[in-house]
Amino acid sequence: MMFLYATILIGIAGLIVLLRLLLGPTVSDRVVALDTLNTLVVAAMLLLGAYYERAIYIDIAIVYALLSYIGTLIIAKYLQGGLT
Amino acid sequence: MSDDMGVIVKTNARALIPLIGIFGAYIVLHGHLTPGGGFQGGATIVGTGLLFLIAFGVEEAKKVINKDLYSALEGVGGLIFLGAAMLGLSIAFFYNVLWHKGPIFNGKPGTLLSAGFLPIMNLGVGLKVFTGLVSAVFALSLFRRWKK
Repeated sequence: MMFLYATILIGIAGLIVLLRLLLGPTVSDRVVALDTLNTLVVAAMLLLGAYYERAIYIDIAIVYALLSYIGTLIIAKYLQGGLT
Repeated sequence: MSDDMGVIVKTNARALIPLIGIFGAYIVLHGHLTPGGGFQGGATIVGTGLLFLIAFGVEEAKKVINKDLYSALEGVGGLIFLGAAMLGLSIAFFYNVLWHKGPIFNGKPGTLLSAGFLPIMNLGVGLKVFTGLVSAVFALSLFRRWKK
């Protein structure tokens, strides 16, 4: 049960970050909120994998962590003006 | 405006591209044992192409990505899938003859060399998805310039 409580706490943090994602006055605020939300989702996936006692769920967390990095990088490059 | 990104992102990309590629190959090869399979693994390997294109720029990618090779490999991936489906044609289309009395891929269920033609089909689909998506993204990035 301990892992479920930790997941609920991370879910509450995710809701607060979602508020910043919706309200954020500038685009940079929203990008940082999205990046934080990605990391929180990875943590929730790992904790739920421990809660359900399936080691296979860890693979999905690794893939999500790798691909969310690329997504944030593409948004950053677009905001920087690099995509011409 | 320079085409590539800073030195930190480029060094990160040099470390991450082999990692993502190996993990995508793991997902494709273990498609019959763990979650994932051909499409998911292929789409993960596309992350390497995207990261290369973003970190090193279009000019550098133009030297590396050969569109004839990628187009040919996409066709080869589809042909591998069709060829594996044709193997048991004397009984039925898509009959898994490698699993019932084949010389290979008929190990104990749960091991890597089991499940008949499923690993071969996963390899074909993974190759097709990777080459197709990389070609699509590269063609979009080359489409045209906004100015001039």
